[in-house]
Amino acid sequence: MIEVAGLEKTYGDFSAVVDSTFAVEEGEVFGIVGPNGAGKTTTLKTLAGLIEPTAGEARVAGYDSTEPAMRHHLGFLPEESPLYEEMTATSYLRFFADLYEVPRSVADERIDRALDRLDLDHRDRRLGDVSKGMKRKVAIARSLVNDPDVLVYDEPASGLDPVTTNSVLEFTRELRAAGKTVVFSAHNLYHVESVCDRVVIMNEGRIVARGTVDEIRERHGETTYHVYTDVEPEAGANEAEIDVGDAEAADIGTAEEVGDRYRTVVPSMDAVDRVRTAASDAGGTVVDIRTREPSLEDVFLDLVGRPMPGRRRGGGSGPDADGDTSEGWNRDGDREKRAETATSEGAE
Amino acid sequence: MIDRTSRRAREVTRRSRRVLRVARWEASRATGGVDRRTLLTALALLVVAGGVLGVGAATGAVGLDVDRDVYRVGVDPGSPYADAVEAEPALTAVPAEEATLGSTADLLVREVRADGGSEPVGVVVRAVDTRKGEAAAASFEEAVEAHNERLMAAEPNGTAAFPVTVTLRYVSRGSTLDDGEAFGGTSGTDDGGDGGGTDDTGSDGGDDGGGGSSDADTVDGSGSGDGGSDGDDGGGDVAGDGNADSGDSGGNTDDDGNDGWWPFGTDDGSGGLAVPSIGGGAFGADLTGSPGSITPPFPFASLVLAFAFLVPMNFLTQAYGSSVLDERTNRRGEPLLVTPLSPTEIVAGKTLPYVAVAVAVTSLIALVVGGGAISVLAVLPIAATFLGATFVGAVFARSFKELTFVTVAVSVLLTSYAFVPAIFTNVTPVALISPLTLVVFDLQNESVSVGEFLFATGPTAATAALCFGLGLGVYREEDLFTQKPVTRKFLDALAVRLSAVGDGVRESPPTGIAARIPGRVRGLVAVAFLAACTIPFVFVAELLAVAVLFALPVTVSIPVLLVVIAFVEEVAKSVHLYAGFERGVFARTDRVAVAVGLASGTGFFLAEKATAVVQAVGLTELYVGRAAFGSVAGLSDLPPPVLVGLFLAPLALHGVTASLSAVGASRDRTKYVLALAAATLLHAAYNFGVVSLHG
Repeated sequence: MIEVAGLEKTYGDFSAVVDSTFAVEEGEVFGIVGPNGAGKTTTLKTLAGLIEPTAGEARVAGYDSTEPAMRHHLGFLPEESPLYEEMTATSYLRFFADLYEVPRSVADERIDRALDRLDLDHRDRRLGDVSKGMKRKVAIARSLVNDPDVLVYDEPASGLDPVTTNSVLEFTRELRAAGKTVVFSAHNLYHVESVCDRVVIMNEGRIVARGTVDEIRERHGETTYHVYTDVEPEAGANEAEIDVGDAEAADIGTAEEVGDRYRTVVPSMDAVDRVRTAASDAGGTVVDIRTREPSLEDVFLDLVGRPMPGRRRGGGSGPDADGDTSEGWNRDGDREKRAETATSEGAE
Repeated sequence: MIDRTSRRAREVTRRSRRVLRVARWEASRATGGVDRRTLLTALALLVVAGGVLGVGAATGAVGLDVDRDVYRVGVDPGSPYADAVEAEPALTAVPAEEATLGSTADLLVREVRADGGSEPVGVVVRAVDTRKGEAAAASFEEAVEAHNERLMAAEPNGTAAFPVTVTLRYVSRGSTLDDGEAFGGTSGTDDGGDGGGTDDTGSDGGDDGGGGSSDADTVDGSGSGDGGSDGDDGGGDVAGDGNADSGDSGGNTDDDGNDGWWPFGTDDGSGGLAVPSIGGGAFGADLTGSPGSITPPFPFASLVLAFAFLVPMNFLTQAYGSSVLDERTNRRGEPLLVTPLSPTEIVAGKTLPYVAVAVAVTSLIALVVGGGAISVLAVLPIAATFLGATFVGAVFARSFKELTFVTVAVSVLLTSYAFVPAIFTNVTPVALISPLTLVVFDLQNESVSVGEFLFATGPTAATAALCFGLGLGVYREEDLFTQKPVTRKFLDALAVRLSAVGDGVRESPPTGIAARIPGRVRGLVAVAFLAACTIPFVFVAELLAVAVLFALPVTVSIPVLLVVIAFVEEVAKSVHLYAGFERGVFARTDRVAVAVGLASGTGFFLAEKATAVVQAVGLTELYVGRAAFGSVAGLSDLPPPVLVGLFLAPLALHGVTASLSAVGASRDRTKYVLALAAATLLHAAYNFGVVSLHG
């Protein structure tokens, strides 16, 4: 549905996008992740036909992105949602439907459906008087008035409250279910991981990683094992036995007291066995072993080499101190899955 | 073929429908943006003002005579002159017994009776010894003439009333003028002839009254040329009797001398009408072709009314500029650019309501002031230029603050361009550079030729079109929503119209006509075309320079004009080349620079030939007009090779100077500026040479 080949965009001496190549299949939700200035928005605007590439090409729904005919198949949601504030939601959406030459009855039906789904009230209130979340929903509805095959969303949940954010993400999943192709950029990696089938990570105009989230994780991150014991593994024995001969292993060789248990983080199942032995030597046993997959953020930080702007770390999926989960990044929660549970030595 | 035509028709219909949708939306937005209460208040005020004016007009309480009741004339109510005074709007009668000259009256009219006789044998007219008194006397003179005309016209015996029939034959304004001859002087000579003829029927012989304005074309009645101008007593205390030339002026307008009761002279003694003089003796007014050498009939009322057409434009530009900039604020218009509408359709739709308002308001004003279709058609290019210039300004401006500066600059410059030349309506062809002059003509019920109409409106209309074209070049995401400086946007606007020249330079896939041009020459054709497109701007700039400089002494105006013109033309030929090199559309090599320079010079030369239209309206009859636009007069005697050489000399000049600038532009900005200065000097030297050779 989307093919991008050797795409480049330069502004004077500045290269916004460098030799970018990727493809998006029909019915796929495709994420573009990267720090500020990585080239995400430039890429999306090139797909939308707003920016003419300096080199390479972008084809959308079979058309070159610069062809006006392509726009009939495209719905675009820019990062900002400035609307014509003197218009009502309904009149605004009707106006855009008119521009796409959608018959009035069809347009009204689509508008009602989209606004119903997005829980948009106050449809006849001037857009200047409604909340930011409402405006964002109207902008999303606008992207659907022409029933496009391809949707290009730039930061769709930017600046929205958690409830609206979840609503937007859920709506994006529904679009995929309806067979739409969605290209989606976000700062918030949780949004990308939770919605996107495949992802590219961009940095300084270049694509530095691509694939499904799992593939990227596998390729660019590493799995660790958290071994919980009821005694502290003997330090000497532990160090000796865990000595796997590399620095990483040495770093994680120290047990950390967690409540009434001790946690040792190791990089392989062999190391897990050594911890088990060390615990046994100390008169204890392994009570739990958990694997931890690298998050997209871990990979991102590894590849990009700097933290995400405005990101937050924190355990749990509940609201943070600001009562907002939308910007939170649940590092351990969902991604930490139990690989093996050994509640007691006897169970082994 | 039919299929293609019908397909094209369908496409046009479809595009028109899109434009109308945007227009409808823009109209609703523009009106929706105003608070309803404010709108209602404004409408109410408008209705009240319109009602007052309407009722006033209907009852005659409000007239459009700006010179009504200006002069007070002391006259006996029983006198026949009272009727003449009564009929003239500018005069108001005061009973002679109560009138005191200088206090309650500007003019006193007393009939002279023979001793003991009841029948008047003459009249004494005394005016205040001020300019107002002179003007009052002149107005009274006109009033009496008009009164007599009316009496004669009412005479049942037409042959007795008008024993001589004069057939007027109008001659093209430009073709009758000789070098160095002033318009007033020419007319004066003609008038003298007429005067003499008329004098034959009078009793006092008019041999000395060369400037007599006895004929119908009183417009140029203030001839300064030949004889009869020794009167210097002005319009002060002048007395006279019936048949004698008792005034000491030799130039009395005694076409009705057989009546014998027109005794007083006028201020210049030429017998012409005393009208305000423009320019006086300043700036070498004695030189030919300068306004100071003429005493034009100042079309005051028509000018004031014509100015009314310009006033709404200033409001229109404010609203339009705000609307365009509003699209750019916070990227509000970005979603529009993603729709299937082209930028041209969007802009056309946004502009259409303002054009409609301009048409409606102009028509309404024309209706009120008595203008016709000519007035409306003449004002529309001005309105389009106001809108076009505002559009470019709003696209280039980075904030409402900058927009305010732009709209004020547009209003001042265009109002000056339209209004100032129109002051010289009836005086000089320079006036025709402004479409407003056509309005003045129309309001004076004078005919306008097709050539004059095209001359006055063509450059303005083309300038408007080019302004929109320039703005549309940057009506895209990359320029609309960024804070680029105006100069960078200007270069962007030019660069998008160019195609690549030279190896290793990428270009966008050509569309439209450009796609049909072979790739090797496409870039050069685009350069030539863009250079040709600058001609209206150049033309307007040069016309403006002519209008500004023609009042100066020739020794000053000509050199300045030649340098200004050289600079304007060199900039026009090279600025898009600089944009092409700056934006990487052209490869930075000397070979490419020379190629694009020659292409630009050629395009400019070809388009420049279109300015031959100025010949049709007589602008080259003026000395500065000839210096600015050249003249082919007097060349017919030259041998063909010389003629060809003269024809191609400008081509060589334009090619060389544009190439020089292009080589500088291909290096960097500083070198471009230096090369442009050198090209300007070279061009100016050429201009001096040509003017020296052809005089």
